[in-house]
Amino acid sequence: MFRDKPNHELCVWALFLFGLIGIPALYFSGTISIDTVNMLGRYLAFAIAAIGLDLIWGYCGVLSLCQALFFALGGYAMGMYLAHHGGPPGTVDASGWKIPGCLFVVYPAGVGETEAQWTVPWFWKPFYSLPATLALGLLIPGLVAAFIGYFGFRSRVRGVYFAILTQAITVAAWLVFCKNDMKLCGTNGLTNFDTVAGYSLTDPGVKFSLYMLTLVCLIGVFCLCRFLVDTRLGRVLVAVRDDETNLRFFGYKPYMFKMFVFALAAALGGLGGMLYTPQMGIVTPEYMTAKWSILFVIWVAVGGRGTLSGAVLGALGVNLVYNFLTTHAPVVWPFVQGLLFVGVVLLFPKGIAGLLDLIRFNRLAKRTSEA
Amino acid sequence: MNTTELIAEYREFSPRINRIGARDFLLFVEDLTAVFDGFKAVDIDAWGVKRNELRVVIGPNGAGKTTLCDLVSGKTRPTTGTVFFEGDDITHALEADIALRGIGRKFQTPRVYDSLTTFENMELALPGSRKVRKFFSRSVNKEENDKILQILERVRLKDDRHTEAKHLSHGQRQWLAISMLILSSPKLLLVDEPAAGLTDLETELTAELLLELKDEHTIIVIEHDMDFVRQLDSKVTVLNEGRILAEGDINELTANEEVIEAYLGR
Amino acid sequence: MAVVTGWTLNQPVAAADSSTDTIGDATLLEQMAKLAGDDAAARKQVLFDLAKSGDSRLEAFLENYRTGSVYLWNGQIVVCTETEEDEDFNELAPLTHPLTGEPVLGADGKQAKPDILDLEDMSPDRAGRLAARSALFLLKLSSPDRESRLVAVKKSGTPPYNAEAIPFLEDMAQSDTDEKIRFTAKESLLLIRLGTDVPIDQAEQRWAAAGQLAEMNSLRTLPMLEEMLRDEGFSKHGQAAREQCEKAVTSINSHQSFVNWVGYVFQGLSLGSILIIMALGLAITFGLMGVINMAHGELMMVGAFTTYVIQQLFVNYLPQGMFNWYYVVALPSAFLAAAFVGWLIEIAVVRHLYRRPLESLLATWGVSILLIQTARLIFGDNIGVNSPTWLRGNVEVLQDVILPFNRLFIIALCALCVAMIYTLINRTKLGLRMRATMQNRDMADSLGVNTRRIDSYTFAFGSGLAGMAGYALTLIGGVTPDMGQNYIVESFLVVVTGGVGELLGVICSGLGLGVATKVIEPMQFGDFTVEAIWAKVFVLACVVAFIQFKPAGLFPPKGRLADV
Repeated sequence: MFRDKPNHELCVWALFLFGLIGIPALYFSGTISIDTVNMLGRYLAFAIAAIGLDLIWGYCGVLSLCQALFFALGGYAMGMYLAHHGGPPGTVDASGWKIPGCLFVVYPAGVGETEAQWTVPWFWKPFYSLPATLALGLLIPGLVAAFIGYFGFRSRVRGVYFAILTQAITVAAWLVFCKNDMKLCGTNGLTNFDTVAGYSLTDPGVKFSLYMLTLVCLIGVFCLCRFLVDTRLGRVLVAVRDDETNLRFFGYKPYMFKMFVFALAAALGGLGGMLYTPQMGIVTPEYMTAKWSILFVIWVAVGGRGTLSGAVLGALGVNLVYNFLTTHAPVVWPFVQGLLFVGVVLLFPKGIAGLLDLIRFNRLAKRTSEA
Repeated sequence: MNTTELIAEYREFSPRINRIGARDFLLFVEDLTAVFDGFKAVDIDAWGVKRNELRVVIGPNGAGKTTLCDLVSGKTRPTTGTVFFEGDDITHALEADIALRGIGRKFQTPRVYDSLTTFENMELALPGSRKVRKFFSRSVNKEENDKILQILERVRLKDDRHTEAKHLSHGQRQWLAISMLILSSPKLLLVDEPAAGLTDLETELTAELLLELKDEHTIIVIEHDMDFVRQLDSKVTVLNEGRILAEGDINELTANEEVIEAYLGR
Repeated sequence: MAVVTGWTLNQPVAAADSSTDTIGDATLLEQMAKLAGDDAAARKQVLFDLAKSGDSRLEAFLENYRTGSVYLWNGQIVVCTETEEDEDFNELAPLTHPLTGEPVLGADGKQAKPDILDLEDMSPDRAGRLAARSALFLLKLSSPDRESRLVAVKKSGTPPYNAEAIPFLEDMAQSDTDEKIRFTAKESLLLIRLGTDVPIDQAEQRWAAAGQLAEMNSLRTLPMLEEMLRDEGFSKHGQAAREQCEKAVTSINSHQSFVNWVGYVFQGLSLGSILIIMALGLAITFGLMGVINMAHGELMMVGAFTTYVIQQLFVNYLPQGMFNWYYVVALPSAFLAAAFVGWLIEIAVVRHLYRRPLESLLATWGVSILLIQTARLIFGDNIGVNSPTWLRGNVEVLQDVILPFNRLFIIALCALCVAMIYTLINRTKLGLRMRATMQNRDMADSLGVNTRRIDSYTFAFGSGLAGMAGYALTLIGGVTPDMGQNYIVESFLVVVTGGVGELLGVICSGLGLGVATKVIEPMQFGDFTVEAIWAKVFVLACVVAFIQFKPAGLFPPKGRLADV
């Protein structure tokens, strides 16, 4: 099975293996700290979202600049759940619901409203239960994407215009989430988390478990998407990217396929966000900014778009470099980041995956770009 | 028969008023015009193609041949007029719906999917449901596989079935495009310049293919290459400046004064 | 309120531009001397006559007179504000000239300091003090300086009313040279009439004043009327009075709305102007080269920072008086600096990415990050740019509609840019080549047009435009390294809505978006004021909806470009 897989995919499987076995070994032997494990867990969550973006952009050719929005929506879903169950014992409102700590601090009281009159908003309530949260964290981004996609794709908004629109939507969402009167804690974001499903978030064991959970999810998502792109659906996506108009003359309605993939990508983004938040301890509107949207794109581009492995490699690679630089030479990071952007477009458009494939071990890779 | 008489005769069979017309004519256009920025690209009063006919459309550059195809296949909306397919009005239908009704098209420059292999290109042309949920199969079944290979064999692309389309030569791309069209087995094939860029031998093979299809399908071929047209040995319509100029056997037409004037100018 | 006092106006009020020198200090001193007289009425008249003169030096004098610091000494009018004590505990009075304030010189050439007992006191009695105060006020009314007159005229319309002012006001309402002052004088007169209690038989005139003020669209009347109507005691004036007042309130309110709306539209125009300048540059590069330049916002930032640098150069190396010229120098500098940076970007990055908008989007975003960080390292995070003084005021175009100069300048600059581009594209050879390259690059190439060079020039030009937008922004916004980020998304929306092909599309959508945002912002639905964020969201939603119907914008590009 592994004989005819391209280098970059082998590389990713190797990394998965290392993540499953190597990292725990290093952690339990005390070589690396729980913070490192936690960091890896967060970056793996990014990778999940990046895979989603690779599906819609790398395979389907639609540049979406709102993957960060979907990531954040999942993050907020999980954040609300965690906020319900965390924080200092605060006020209980009239209907018996405890007001989450982070909301309590920045509650947008109306004129003349006393603390006793504050209530937990209706849209917070479903997120009290974990299963509901998990479902909503996938559904909400998916539905938002389907909505955007329906209007965007049906009216045949072309590549660049669609990208700009998604960016504008992300910025608008950021503006809205920043407002305190939305009762989503404004720019402070959701915080004061304590436990998840009854387990304390500060417990190293729990942190480690979250890491493993994220890794397993990532492997699952990777396999699922691998499966998908090998089906006829995957080929339709590539055809959409190559010549969407021609597909119509063969009876296809590309917007349906695009909508499906866009919604799937969004759900994956939301999944990433949900796994990220308990490991990060906070979620703010910052994740919805244009800057983050572009970051997602860069991870996929640097890793190598249209390969799935590239998404994982890029997300991990770029973030590790970011982590290293901001710890040791923070001023340098924006320059590196900027140069990465320019470089990946001009110099190595196939990204890390492409570079890996240039290394020939034996007669591999018929499916790769250079034949 | 001169043009006026010709058009009058067509008009009688308009599916709007004539049930026989609806039954016999697979494709019928009436009062069809396409105006772009004041320029009338197509201006046809009445015209039709019967079932299982192989019709060739010729005319000088800018006559409106490709635009006519665009109007029929839904790529362009007409300014006025109606397009009837099997008696149904399809003037304002979407391209995908028109394609599903059974109109297939090959473009002037062959359009194939570069990142997919020859086989995968063909796979996408297989007839069948176009709904998303039908697409989770990983490969084709035996019957489909055989059908694809059969066609590829004829056009000598079988050995290249796993080559990515971007590596094919121009001639091979032409044939891939034609093959895809054949595979999708539409009721009406619109073939735009199938011989463009092919050698004489390849042109012959193409003519053969098209003639074979004639029994089961209706075909409209747009061409410039007169030898190819002769090989097809079918009724020919001449377009000029968006209008029907003449119709009939190719030999008659090449002797027709008006046709000669249209091609060579005054 | 007191009835008009018994003095008359027998000289015309000093005209706005009459030089006080023509009256002559001698005449003034003569007048002042009369203050030493016994006739109270005559003294009062003198005060008012002095007030009429409008000489601003009299302000100090009148104040001194009122506080009893004016004396008669050897037949001269002198001022002593504070006494000194000598060794013998005598109170000495250092004397100053009543008009100039300069020390009065004694025989020895030094400031005269006679014993205070030698001075004849000219302190006014209570009535005199009140008269002096009035005179001070009236002095301002007669001031040659338009601004002071205006302020004084306005003040006379607010309680407590100064009855002495009425004849002055009547005269000014007729014959002042400045239209605004005539208007305000009339307004103040009517306000006084409206605000003054009178017996019933004269009441009709009083309430009629409300109607007259409404006709004048007097905004000052509004708070006064509203308060009067709220007062419970108002009903004693009768129903007719109430109706008149309410009618006046409605009428003036609609004028107020009108003024407000003009204000919002104007703000929208200035916002739209900036968007247009930015979007023009973007549309050109996108239209010509099929390239999306995400660093466009940073080119705007370059223009703004260049303006800052020029300002600093002027402040540090050139005399104070030259300060305002920095703004003139900054205009071409901002353009050139941004054009230069744009040219560099084109050579290094953009040139390799023609017709690949998605790739260029990413690459130029990287460039923008580099530019922001560079600016941050060089300049830090917060920079102050001061507008030149000649752009700091405002102008009243219609009654009560006040437009600030800086925003007018921005709109004018935008018009200039549009004119420049129109001329460049449609009337020059370079423009012709640009259009050819835009519509069919290969054909243009084969006809001998150096398309690469055209691309460089065009990109540089578009970047220069962004620089000018930054230059204009320094007038109304903060200058920070990431200021470009605020405008880039909106600029792109303008391009997307307007269509890449036509200048007109960009202008329409730029103005449309700017005005729409600013007009929606202050709208109120019940308790809820829209405010900036929701206005932006709403406008965005409209753009998204609009794109449904016109996916390629108002004026879509025609030709081969359409496939980008």
